[in-house]
Amino acid sequence: MSVTIALSIILGLVGIGLYALLITRNLIKVIIALQIMIKGVLLALVAAGQSAEQPMVGASMALTVIVADTIVAVVGLALAVQVRRRFGTLDIKALSILRR
Amino acid sequence: MQIVPVLIFLGIALPWLGALLVWWAGDARARLQHGLAVFFSVVSGATMLALLLIGFGGENSGGSLSFFQGTAQETSPFGAFTFAPDGLGVFLAVVATVIGSLAVIFSVDYMRGEAQLGRYYAMILFFIGSMVGLVLTTNLLLVFVFWEMTALCSYGLISFYNDDPKAVAGGMKALIMTQLGGVGLLLGAILAYGYLGTVDVNVFLERAAELPTDVLAVLAFGFLLAAAAKSAQFPFQTWLPDAMEAPTPVSALIHAATMVNAGVYLLARFYPAFAEVPYWRESVMVVGMLSALLSAVMALVATDLKRVLAYSTVSQLGYMVYAVGTGGIFASQFHLLSHSVFKALLFLAAGAVIHAVGTRDMRKMGGLGSQMPLVRTVFVIGALALAGLPVLNGFWSKELILEAGIEHGPLWIWILMLITAGLTALYTFRCVWMVFYGQPRSHLHVHPTGIAMKTAMLPLALGTLTTWLLAGPFSRLLAETMPHHEMEAEATGALLLSVISAPVTWGAMAVVGLGLAAWWQRDRLLLVSEPLADLGRFAESSFGFEAINRRITEQMICMAEDLRVLHPGLLNWNIFGIVAALVTVLLILALGA
Repeated sequence: MSVTIALSIILGLVGIGLYALLITRNLIKVIIALQIMIKGVLLALVAAGQSAEQPMVGASMALTVIVADTIVAVVGLALAVQVRRRFGTLDIKALSILRR
Repeated sequence: MQIVPVLIFLGIALPWLGALLVWWAGDARARLQHGLAVFFSVVSGATMLALLLIGFGGENSGGSLSFFQGTAQETSPFGAFTFAPDGLGVFLAVVATVIGSLAVIFSVDYMRGEAQLGRYYAMILFFIGSMVGLVLTTNLLLVFVFWEMTALCSYGLISFYNDDPKAVAGGMKALIMTQLGGVGLLLGAILAYGYLGTVDVNVFLERAAELPTDVLAVLAFGFLLAAAAKSAQFPFQTWLPDAMEAPTPVSALIHAATMVNAGVYLLARFYPAFAEVPYWRESVMVVGMLSALLSAVMALVATDLKRVLAYSTVSQLGYMVYAVGTGGIFASQFHLLSHSVFKALLFLAAGAVIHAVGTRDMRKMGGLGSQMPLVRTVFVIGALALAGLPVLNGFWSKELILEAGIEHGPLWIWILMLITAGLTALYTFRCVWMVFYGQPRSHLHVHPTGIAMKTAMLPLALGTLTTWLLAGPFSRLLAETMPHHEMEAEATGALLLSVISAPVTWGAMAVVGLGLAAWWQRDRLLLVSEPLADLGRFAESSFGFEAINRRITEQMICMAEDLRVLHPGLLNWNIFGIVAALVTVLLILALGA
């Protein structure tokens, strides 16, 4: 896979994730957007390892991120469930009332 | 294996290990916590004493403790983490650990039955260890790190009674003010690295002349700011009296052993580099003079026993700072030693009084001397040393400072310092009289003084009577181990004789005597004191500095409220901010490259 293709896929994934984060107000969608971004980052790690001719390093970093990312997803979803039960909404704008 | 690095390591690591163990012991096992805290603080005190005794001149001397030396030194901007003993550092480490351990012993009685002892002792031990690190390290960045550690511990200890809003506010004040000073220190470290490529203190002292003059001036005044904030000097003197909400052993620790000494240490350590900076020495002297004079007046009108002692600490620290400004490094450090001993004694005795009667208001005390003779005796010893009466240790060191002042400083500052000496005698006697003599002003039930309290106070009383005998060895220690400071070693006898024979001493004694006479004749001095009543009221409001502090705080809060608009708490906006920052950084990098 050439570097150009890899870079464009990475930028696409991260860009889609960022865009979704910017516009969405649903907590579940926020978590999905984060996951999309993280997938882009994973790809970036592997690609960086390839182009630096140290594929093992890149792959092992990516594996570490996968583990951490799973935990983020699980905790985030669990929090979303609790938030829904307690406040009855997943709208982050409505939830931002929490800061007061 | 060399023994010095091991001792240095133990001096820092033992208190920290003790802090962890006290925490681990848990609040359910209070007796174990008391025991652990006393054990670890006393052992670290013994370690530092051993370092003082065998670290210099013997066959085991020499050597230093160093981490990340070699390869890391070339690549890391933080330099090697080196701890090297010299006279100044080891002396302050001894003060911190020995007086700290006495404060811990005192706490066994004072804090008996209190909740959350784990937090209390862990903080104290962490504090002591950090102070040892601060004075022994030769890495400027580590100095900053330890500096902030002591600030954090002092915050935690001042706010120990965290259900009392006054205690929390006092802790916050101490934290914010000393943090402000820390910025000056960090700035100095970064500038030193930027221009000299090293953060090693000794290299810095050696090559300070290579720095451009204006950069050196920024450094010098940055360090003065840091020292003034830490040692509660003008214009930052307001945090120390508010720190009196802490438990009394903590006050003794902060005032005598750890916190406030750090500022004087910093000035003394870097004096050779900054002495040539225009107006720096004068500024240091003026800062010391203003602190000494203003806080002596405030001590004269304060009615809270601990506040009187707090103001007297600011005042005595003013003397030390003034001495550094005149170039009398030995005089300032010798006064620091005397002050640590007698101020710890005064605070612990005051703690015994407060513990016994349950109030800090001196107007409610009076005539306590007959009920607690031992506490009265040690308090009077400490008070006489504070007032600077012979032959106690405070006398010798204060006279040395005044001698250095008249030789190397402007006359008008010296005269004001002399007046302050008289004021010191006056407020000290007012305090002793109000607490221990005269008629009891209200019915107070006096609890007996505990055995641990007595154990902690007696060595300090003995020290107040005798530490001046160490003048000779101490001056030799400083002169031999501080290559960048110009100091001459003198024998005890010659040093003391020069103090006694100096005309300055007799003048100072006359002023101190005047201060005492003013107290005895206070009823007849109404003619003078009536017009001064307004000044007294002004002093009670701490010369308007509290109002300035309040104004600044209010302004900051207003500004924060206004800036709140930028924090809508909406995820989308936050993400936008992050992306914008990322793009900005990338742009800067792209343009820079």
